[in-house]
Amino acid sequence: MKIKRKLAIFALFGTVFTFSSCSDNKDYETAICALTDISGTYAKEKKNMVKIIKAGIVPKMVPGDTLFLIAIDSNSYNDKNIKAKLTLDYRPSKANDQRLQFAKTLDGFANESSSSKYTDISGAMMLCSGQLKATEAGTQLMFIFSDMKEELKPGIKRSFEKTEFENIDIAAMNVIKLDADSANPEIFRKRIRKWEKRVLDHSAKSWDADLSPTDIPDYIDERK
Amino acid sequence: MSDFYIWPDMPGLSVTVLVVGSMIFLYLARTPLHLALDSLNDGIAGGLHKISDWINGLVEKMREKNRKVLLESSIADSEQKIAQEFKKVESSYIKHLADYPKLHLKLDESISKIDEDYKECGQAVPEAPGWNDAVQSIASIKGAASNDRVIEKMLKELHKSAVDGEKQALNELRKTASQRHKVLSSMAPIWKKILKLMGTVETQVTHVIETTRKIDKYMKDYNSVLKGGEDSIDMLGSKATKLFVFSVLVIVVAGFGAFVNFNLIALPMSELVPAGNRVMGMQVSDISALVIVTLEIVLGIFLMEALGITNIFPQVGSMTSSKKKLLLYASLLGLFFLASVEAALAVLREHIAETNAATTQALAGATEATGGAGNSQITVIGQATLGFVLPWILAMVAVPLEMLIESAQHALYKFLILIVLLVGYVIRTIGHIVQMIMKTLIHIYDAYIIVPAKIGEMITGESSVASRKK
Repeated sequence: MKIKRKLAIFALFGTVFTFSSCSDNKDYETAICALTDISGTYAKEKKNMVKIIKAGIVPKMVPGDTLFLIAIDSNSYNDKNIKAKLTLDYRPSKANDQRLQFAKTLDGFANESSSSKYTDISGAMMLCSGQLKATEAGTQLMFIFSDMKEELKPGIKRSFEKTEFENIDIAAMNVIKLDADSANPEIFRKRIRKWEKRVLDHSAKSWDADLSPTDIPDYIDERK
Repeated sequence: MSDFYIWPDMPGLSVTVLVVGSMIFLYLARTPLHLALDSLNDGIAGGLHKISDWINGLVEKMREKNRKVLLESSIADSEQKIAQEFKKVESSYIKHLADYPKLHLKLDESISKIDEDYKECGQAVPEAPGWNDAVQSIASIKGAASNDRVIEKMLKELHKSAVDGEKQALNELRKTASQRHKVLSSMAPIWKKILKLMGTVETQVTHVIETTRKIDKYMKDYNSVLKGGEDSIDMLGSKATKLFVFSVLVIVVAGFGAFVNFNLIALPMSELVPAGNRVMGMQVSDISALVIVTLEIVLGIFLMEALGITNIFPQVGSMTSSKKKLLLYASLLGLFFLASVEAALAVLREHIAETNAATTQALAGATEATGGAGNSQITVIGQATLGFVLPWILAMVAVPLEMLIESAQHALYKFLILIVLLVGYVIRTIGHIVQMIMKTLIHIYDAYIIVPAKIGEMITGESSVASRKK
């Protein structure tokens, strides 16, 4: 009788332990934001950006991961700027179909002829930060495809919260140099340093500005 | 340091006064200080020695327990082997002795048949072959040339009758001989039958003799183990260690096999089982794959138990043969089912891998797929075969597992004894070092107060060593 009681207690503890150790997949998921600049001179890089996202980011996503495509235009802090969203299904076959479908959406975005006069990078970053946080994913990454030269439309104000980029790794990709940058590299370096300080001051986990498209898979693996 | 100077402006004098003062103080306090150092020495070194002695005692107890464990497990093993052999003998006797009356009847029948045939051979007596001589004798009678026609005719008739009689007798003889040959040839298969039966008897007798020899050997082992001599303990110890090492090696290899098996089915399982949740950081689909691999091992254990190869569960060993057969078929069926599932999953895995590769290529902008279809077929067949074969190989892990369970207790004891012995040696060494340090300290102390000690000796006329000993 005593043994039976002991066994029952052991079984109860085992069950409680097993269920208490059941965890949500969120901690193991990765949420990625790709901010694509469609303003000014960078608009012509659209096709190249899409190519990099398709070949570098999408294949590295595993079931459960999420990817947002956000456009940087004159007023980026707008839900309409979320051009596409993909959350991969846990079934590998379904996930592959979703990848192919998403690739088509990206191609459609690349062929759009929209362009903007001003460049609201901060607004896009704030929108992206909100989306990433909403996913509650364990790893949150932000890729910014832009020349990193912000030009805000008169009347638009952008200021980050202290914990705006908490738990987010940020990387500036394919940062092309403007004519002024080529004339004086210090302008470019200063601009990048300013961004680095800005994001790190607002709790970003890390900042990278010298990633090449081929480095993306390793970058994602390291952050996971 | 200058804080301790009595006269800060005269450091030399201050140091000299301090040294001389400390010498006088230490000389006067030498007896209680020596006693204090001795007590400290006794306390630390003696305590450590006692701990070391206790550890030695503990080691002895552990050795004794290990010895008992070895003996008991070996006795149980021998008893089990003997019981198994007796069971074999019993079943063999039941089987073969049940057939023996039939065999005996067959032999009796065959021998009776031979006897009858032999008698029949004896009854068919041929006619005496004396006709030739009689014909010769009649033919050589002189009366044939006497020109007496009556006698000549009579002799001719006699000769003719004799020739006929000879022919008839010869025919009879041939007929009888042919009959005897027939009888003898009919005996040949009976002889062969008897020879075959005798061969069967010999095989059965040899089998019984072999089993008896085995029992004899096991009994000898059993007796030597029961005596519990040092030789048998050493022999058992080395046997258990060998068993442990080999079983660990095999289990490690089987572990790698299980790892390969797991990786083969983990990906396709995510297609079948919802992978949205995790338990202790593991995806449910991965856990499902792990469960399948574990189930294969469990079924393998039951299969080996039902076959009588292992004896991990005594309840299975004591089951009736019909129940054992049921367990055997159930395990075989289960394993076959799991092996088939794995083969199917392996095919699905290849399909998923191909789709993944194609998707990645499409995303990278490739227009044509690379890789030949033939290659893919070989991979699919290879993976399916691997998926089907691996469960059967994993099922055999039950044998080394039983060996590991049997020998692990001894190996664990041996390892623990080694650790405890090592700790004991370290403690004893520390005790010795402490003892030496204390002795050295006392000698340094005596050396430091040598000047006041010698003056004291001169005044009192008593050795300071002698006074300390008092």
